[in-house]
Amino acid sequence: MKTVTWLAGIGTMLAGGAYMIVSLNRWEWNRALFFGLIVLIAEVGLSTGLVLRRLARLEYDRRSGVDPTIKAILRETRPPAPSRFAWMSEQSRDLNVFITFLVGGGVLISGVAWVVDRVASKTSSPIGEERLARQLEPISYPSGGLLLDDVTVLAQEVPGANDDQIRQLLRRGGRH
Amino acid sequence: MWRFKPVKVLLGTVGLAIGVAGVLALREATLSTHEDPEELGEKMELVVHASSKGGEGGQSLDEMVEAQLLACRLEVTSDYTGPIEPLGDGRYRAVLTPSLDLTNRKQFRGCVEDWVIDHVRINVVDLTELD
Repeated sequence: MKTVTWLAGIGTMLAGGAYMIVSLNRWEWNRALFFGLIVLIAEVGLSTGLVLRRLARLEYDRRSGVDPTIKAILRETRPPAPSRFAWMSEQSRDLNVFITFLVGGGVLISGVAWVVDRVASKTSSPIGEERLARQLEPISYPSGGLLLDDVTVLAQEVPGANDDQIRQLLRRGGRH
Repeated sequence: MWRFKPVKVLLGTVGLAIGVAGVLALREATLSTHEDPEELGEKMELVVHASSKGGEGGQSLDEMVEAQLLACRLEVTSDYTGPIEPLGDGRYRAVLTPSLDLTNRKQFRGCVEDWVIDHVRINVVDLTELD
């Protein structure tokens, strides 16, 4: 915004000056006076702006209360700011360790996952299934069905206890 | 401590020379240098085009043009031989006698095209000597 204001002021002064000279050359005194007035207004505005800017700088220096020479020395001896991401801007021809680990780790994990997948697929073979069936046999239901007592049989008649799976388990007992 | 800088001195010298030359040229362009009246022609024809904008009520373009041309006639040594004739379409014609020398022509044209009277703008279409 300040730049635009300065440019507008300078442009107004230059254009007004140019028109003033042209008007003078054409013997158009009233026009020359008008453009001269514009130049004068722009000049006063620019001069005021320059003076105010200078005063503001002096005021800032006075308020800071520090010798400018000492400030300059301190500024020159200021340690450089640490660059925490310097490794990202390194322009080296060597392979980057981070990239190497990333790619190598990915390949390694993919290989392990492939081996695990192959081993897991072998454990569900038909032989394994038969072995599992034999292991489960001791805890399977009796082939003749569950032994029912009267209470269980009567429980089937309770409203809301109509369960097909229970009925299937008790099918061999039947209803009396 | 001041140090001699040739580039700055050269630029300053060039700027000063341009400024002085500009002022001298402007002085020359605005200086009245009249010729001998005996070498001038008899009559000179003036044709102008005028237009007005936002004038006061009761003002006509004719009288605004007449007022400005009469005011500008006072800046030169010539005078109108007759009335200012409206040609239509915002154009007006007048004849001046004796003819205007170079300086008077510039001065008269400048006055006619200047902001002398409010709300009217006049452009000189023709300002030539009559045979």
